[in-house]
Amino acid sequence: MHKNRLSVVIGSGGVLCAASLGLSKALSREGLIPGMAVGCSGGSIYAAIIALGIEPDEAEQLTLNLFTSDVFEGYTSNLKSALSGETRFTEASSLIDDNIMYERLKSVFGEKSFSDTSFPLHIVATEFYTGERVVISSGKILDAIRASIAIPMIFSPWKIGEQLLVDGAVCDPLPIDVAIQQGSDVIAAVGFEMPTRKRMNSYTAVTTHFNSIYMNNILKSTFAFYNAVHHAEIIPILPDFEKPVGTFDTSQIPHIIAQGEKAAEQHIPYIKQLMTGIDIA
Amino acid sequence: MATRKKKIALVIGAGSVKCAAALGLWKVLVQEDIHFDMIVGCSGGSLYATSMALGFTPDESAENTKKLWNQAVTEKRNWRGLASAFLPGIFKFNDQFSMIDDGPMLKRLRMVFEEKTFADTKLPLYLMATDLYTGEAVAMHEGSLVDALRASIAIPYIWSAWTINGRQLVDGGAANPLPVDVAIREGADIIIAMGFQSPFPSKIKSVSRYAFHINSLLTNNLYQANFAFHNAVHHAEIISIFPDFDRPIKLFDTHEIPYVIEQGEKAMRAQLDYVKRLLES
Repeated sequence: MHKNRLSVVIGSGGVLCAASLGLSKALSREGLIPGMAVGCSGGSIYAAIIALGIEPDEAEQLTLNLFTSDVFEGYTSNLKSALSGETRFTEASSLIDDNIMYERLKSVFGEKSFSDTSFPLHIVATEFYTGERVVISSGKILDAIRASIAIPMIFSPWKIGEQLLVDGAVCDPLPIDVAIQQGSDVIAAVGFEMPTRKRMNSYTAVTTHFNSIYMNNILKSTFAFYNAVHHAEIIPILPDFEKPVGTFDTSQIPHIIAQGEKAAEQHIPYIKQLMTGIDIA
Repeated sequence: MATRKKKIALVIGAGSVKCAAALGLWKVLVQEDIHFDMIVGCSGGSLYATSMALGFTPDESAENTKKLWNQAVTEKRNWRGLASAFLPGIFKFNDQFSMIDDGPMLKRLRMVFEEKTFADTKLPLYLMATDLYTGEAVAMHEGSLVDALRASIAIPYIWSAWTINGRQLVDGGAANPLPVDVAIREGADIIIAMGFQSPFPSKIKSVSRYAFHINSLLTNNLYQANFAFHNAVHHAEIISIFPDFDRPIKLFDTHEIPYVIEQGEKAMRAQLDYVKRLLES
């Protein structure tokens, strides 16, 4: 029986999710091995990396290769033609062609499946038509990540089986509920609030701003609910980035990971205590 | 020792035309001689909450609705706003962006609620809005009713934000779609909460419908997460009244109002015995 099973939950947050590599470093240094990884949106990339056992240094390099500005190519011209009605915009549309992003993810995850991980991995996406949560735990990891990171309007939704899926942050930005349902006792949850705008100077600024507001409010409500109602130990790891970091600001990645590690270190003694079953009361 | 009279609150959540179901609920309670001690409204629900709090009868409130919420208020497109969406430089895209000109809506709000303020209500009234920049929930309880209503119903993308005391406010649904917490905080013992799911556009064929679809998914998930928390953690009795509609009711389907009211009446009647028992206990 797995008593005190530790899980790592990584919420949505674009490039900020790399902070979870800091957590992973801090845990492995202490010999604390998670029994499960759960990821949402950008966090799904790192949950998969951790579950596949990719070393932190290698993972950092992968991150630098993954998030570069060319993944956003074509954005402005696509937006203009979509808004002026030149091109129809349907559920299959997107403002960014996902080729570059997809090829990069493919170079990391290739044909790997959920059965290749060293411990259970769960990735959260949202059913496009109903908004319901979908937990992906089998099949190709690449497909699951592609679905989970399908930021509304920016990347097109992704079909898995019969379901059309979009960004997990639309339903469950920090999916501690999945870890609870899968039997975790100790949950290290790395969560982020989405950046909001100070100025709204374009239509997409408005949509991303509103999406961020909603996602942040959903994050707070779900966290408050699960924290209050369930009996698993939930340890929120909230890195402090001092200054705002843009969603795709790769130059900040070493700093992001370092801050993640710092935030995690504060909680390590408590996690160790919980894992060795010492009564802290 | 005399038992203190139990305080009853009505909370009407966001739901545009569907909020008219609150009139059905109200009719049932008036017949049973059950009276509220406070009313809380959000977005579309604010219109009914205000009408009730001012002492209009259910029939008068239904009449008011016809004046306030109909196709005419959306007739006037905000061409400048729409143009600024795809030529942001020339048409000065800013945080006042909207697709609909709010002139007709404001005119109607003033026609019904005139210069009245929160001080004119016969029952304490709280209206919910969201801070445009921080996403925080703002419960309004003083000042002009027209201002508070205009802010509370500022549906993202459709109407622009509204400034009150230097703070830009939008639709309360973006932070707190069914604000039972306000009633809890104001000391209600029994809370009758009427909530609704947001409708989806029937077909996604443009960027704005896409944005609106995502917005509905987010609102619904926020609504569920938020309500789950308050329902689980607080000790006031929360009686949820979720009317059943056998067909989709869209944002401006005002011709459905009689049907909506009827369904609200049915949903309330189903819970009536329980409410009575609580009042007697």
